[in-house]
Amino acid sequence: MAAVTNFEQFVKRVLEIVFWVLILVPMVIIPIFFVVYVLPVEFSCHFSMLSCSQQINWSAALYLFSPAELNPFSPTSFISQMGLGANSMIFKSSFFPGISFAAILSSFVIWYERKLLAKMQYRVGPQYAGRVEGWLQSFADLFKLMFKEIVIPVNADAPFFMGVPFALMALSGALLAVIPISANIYITSSPYSLLIALAVLSIFPLVTVLAGWASANKFSFIGGIRALYQMISYEIPFILSVVGIVILSGGTFSLSQIVGAQGRVWFVIPMILGAIVFYITAMAELERIPFDLPEADSEIVAGWLTEYTSMTFGVINLATYIKLYGLSALFTILFLGGWNGPAPIPGALWFMIKTIIVITLFLIPRGAFGRIRIDQLIGFGWLWLIGLSFANIFIAVVLKATGIL
Amino acid sequence: MTNIVTGSFQALWAALRQLPRKRMTMQYPDVQTQMANYYTYDPKLGVAKAGYKGRHILWLDKCTGCQLCSIACENIAQAIEMVKVPSVAKPQNKKTLFPQVDYAKCVFCGLCVDACPFYALGMTEDFNLVSTSKKALVYSPEKLAIPPNVTRKKVEFKIENGEAYHD
Amino acid sequence: MSMGVGSAFSTEKISEDKMSISVGPQHPGAGHFRFTVTIDGDTIVDCVPDPGYVHRGAEKQTEYRSFLQSIPMLERSSLTDVTNIIMPFSMAAEELMGIQIPPRAQYLRMIMSENQRILSHLYWLGIQGIFLGHSTVFMWPLGDRELFIDLGQMIGGARITYSYAIPGGVRNDMPDDFKDRALKVFDYFEARLKDYEKIFFNNPLVLKRTQDVGVLPRAEAIKLGVVGQTLRASGVKSDTRIDEPYNFYKDLNFEVPTYESCDTWARCMVHLVEMRQSMDIMRQCLEKLPQGPVRVKLSPQQRAQAGEAYARVEASRGALSFHIISEGSTKPYRVKISVPSFRNLIALPRLLIGSHVADMPAIYWSLDYWPVEADR
Repeated sequence: MAAVTNFEQFVKRVLEIVFWVLILVPMVIIPIFFVVYVLPVEFSCHFSMLSCSQQINWSAALYLFSPAELNPFSPTSFISQMGLGANSMIFKSSFFPGISFAAILSSFVIWYERKLLAKMQYRVGPQYAGRVEGWLQSFADLFKLMFKEIVIPVNADAPFFMGVPFALMALSGALLAVIPISANIYITSSPYSLLIALAVLSIFPLVTVLAGWASANKFSFIGGIRALYQMISYEIPFILSVVGIVILSGGTFSLSQIVGAQGRVWFVIPMILGAIVFYITAMAELERIPFDLPEADSEIVAGWLTEYTSMTFGVINLATYIKLYGLSALFTILFLGGWNGPAPIPGALWFMIKTIIVITLFLIPRGAFGRIRIDQLIGFGWLWLIGLSFANIFIAVVLKATGIL
Repeated sequence: MTNIVTGSFQALWAALRQLPRKRMTMQYPDVQTQMANYYTYDPKLGVAKAGYKGRHILWLDKCTGCQLCSIACENIAQAIEMVKVPSVAKPQNKKTLFPQVDYAKCVFCGLCVDACPFYALGMTEDFNLVSTSKKALVYSPEKLAIPPNVTRKKVEFKIENGEAYHD
Repeated sequence: MSMGVGSAFSTEKISEDKMSISVGPQHPGAGHFRFTVTIDGDTIVDCVPDPGYVHRGAEKQTEYRSFLQSIPMLERSSLTDVTNIIMPFSMAAEELMGIQIPPRAQYLRMIMSENQRILSHLYWLGIQGIFLGHSTVFMWPLGDRELFIDLGQMIGGARITYSYAIPGGVRNDMPDDFKDRALKVFDYFEARLKDYEKIFFNNPLVLKRTQDVGVLPRAEAIKLGVVGQTLRASGVKSDTRIDEPYNFYKDLNFEVPTYESCDTWARCMVHLVEMRQSMDIMRQCLEKLPQGPVRVKLSPQQRAQAGEAYARVEASRGALSFHIISEGSTKPYRVKISVPSFRNLIALPRLLIGSHVADMPAIYWSLDYWPVEADR
């Protein structure tokens, strides 16, 4: 079409630099900062002869005399008084249980998926990166991707094209922000956290269509439209399957209280239909096989991801796997009782164990099924799944009205 | 409807059953499978003996320089050329003409072996003929006369208890 | 729309609502073959195939080589079906040279031919799986293929292109441990086929993708002149091994599978039944194998008598035939090859027009079109 002008090249260059800065700072620099500076200091109260509580009492006493000054001798340290400690928002959102934790967990989930799939296909999977069974393979892949060139096609809409990886990462992060890991560990808590999670999940199809359109490629466009059809038609059964949970837990939308209501029995037992519907629609939201039509690589090369090259591709894939972790965490909280479990193991560890089991359940159908076609997929979603989720709501209402649960 | 559900569970079970089985993968650069050595041709009987068709082996004591191997290869790959090798003097080959094989062109069909009337040419199990230059792929007659030396560990492709694996 | 080459290369917009996509040679869904489809929403309205990307002039090249020297060149046309593509050439050449090959050679040719059929069908199954998005059905057949490649290597001496069935018989005899190994492989593979049925042939999602998709009714199949699995899946009992038996097929006991549903699923099932049948035929051949010589001694530049000869075999994809015209010299005057892939190509536009875009790879590959063989 038109020749590339100097201004467009400049815009492209600026966008690339901004991209690298915005990716490297929260994913690499901030975690290193936390690991090197904050964690040793935060846990340094264990290295002195006084116990941690005695140290806090002393520093509280000192604080009484000089309240306006920062106290460098206190074990709740200098850094946490500046707002960067282990309980601060920046620590929680970018380190644990936020983006870095989710990103590292997702990298291991990618390795785990490749190994699991290989075992089902009598292969070995990754075996060279890292001595034991190739456990560092995803890090090797991300590292390799950093060295490739970011290619923005000439006809593509550069700001929207480069904005899509950020948007996806931000949405995945927003999904994680409302999901609590245990009764005390959460990034934010809100009485409407379930609604926020569902709302964030409905923005994903818009970003996907934007990626398909901004790539200026016939195949990407087809992929984007298919993704839109698929995700939007599976939003409705997704939301309906959760309504039964809300009814059973007394009308609350807060995820912490939903876990609290599962003290006696996990909701997967009475709400088994809802669990099945949630599972199937979550696979459609995640574009996993058997629903990976938008990325069908035998027909439309790679669908809406075709034109994304190096780290943009890496970031989009990472955002997809963080979304997988987020949806598995949501399944665990809604149906499997969250962090409830027998005493000696802490609640957060139970949560992780259950989430990893749910992630395995999401990964397994990739080894046994092929893709289904777009019209069959939409028929299935609108007809069967909505019917099953209404049956589920009926069961929930009956159980609540008769006072069984 | 029930067919769909039972069919899906059977498909999942067929995939999950493979998890405890042994892998079929052969760790190739470290190991290779055992193959029969020395594909040769018997001109009196007119039939060849089964063997793996890899790199050639030339028995210098038998070759008379008759060029039949080179003529056979002419319309196939033109990989064999006769060269004079003055350092190898044999009573049956006074002109010291011996074949040299260019492995950049050879297709390993073995029809040269089938053309030799003097039991002089065979093919061995050595298939790993990589090199970094095309010149190094032209094997002179003396190089062809060296028996193959495969140093990799050999494994067998076993079938036992319903599993197939390399060991 | 005309079948002209110009329309296949044009990239202009055809009309406001139709889009033209070139499923070209560098596409994960096509192999070395280009075809252009015009789509209107989700339906394909036109398809123009454009073969010839890998044409090497094989027919012309046989005029410069003697009969024996053409074999390595011809067998590389059809990599998954090596023995079957040179067998009619050898049979026609033997007719022209006026020789009769010994029975043991014919049995060995049958064994290698059926081995090749299993190899070809497993590769077909792998790619059919990947076109439907099913990566496990890609990995399993290509892994199980290794066992049969190993069997071929015990006899032929190479993994893929062995140049085994030459004019005059076969090149070498079978080694002694072949029979035990082959029977072990067959037992293992028949147990594996049950897993294949569960994960592919009876998998409900695959059934949804392949049943009633790409239906080729019986009358049209006969009218278009398709061969092989496409014909048998449309209900026509046609197999060269039974209609015009060669080698010793008339002494063996096997049936031709036909299905009435004429759709993609029927073509898949025909492949499955033929794999089982091939193993059965190999078992019978190994039982009945007579002793004796395997090769008639011919010179590499053997002269053929003047005349014509025609031979047809049932290759893995359908009926393959060679027609050789010789003028009494060591090189043939003209060789005409008729391959099943090219014959089935005419069914491709007929089946694709009117179907969904997503069905394109499933239908295309179920016709078992091998571009290199079709272009020769």
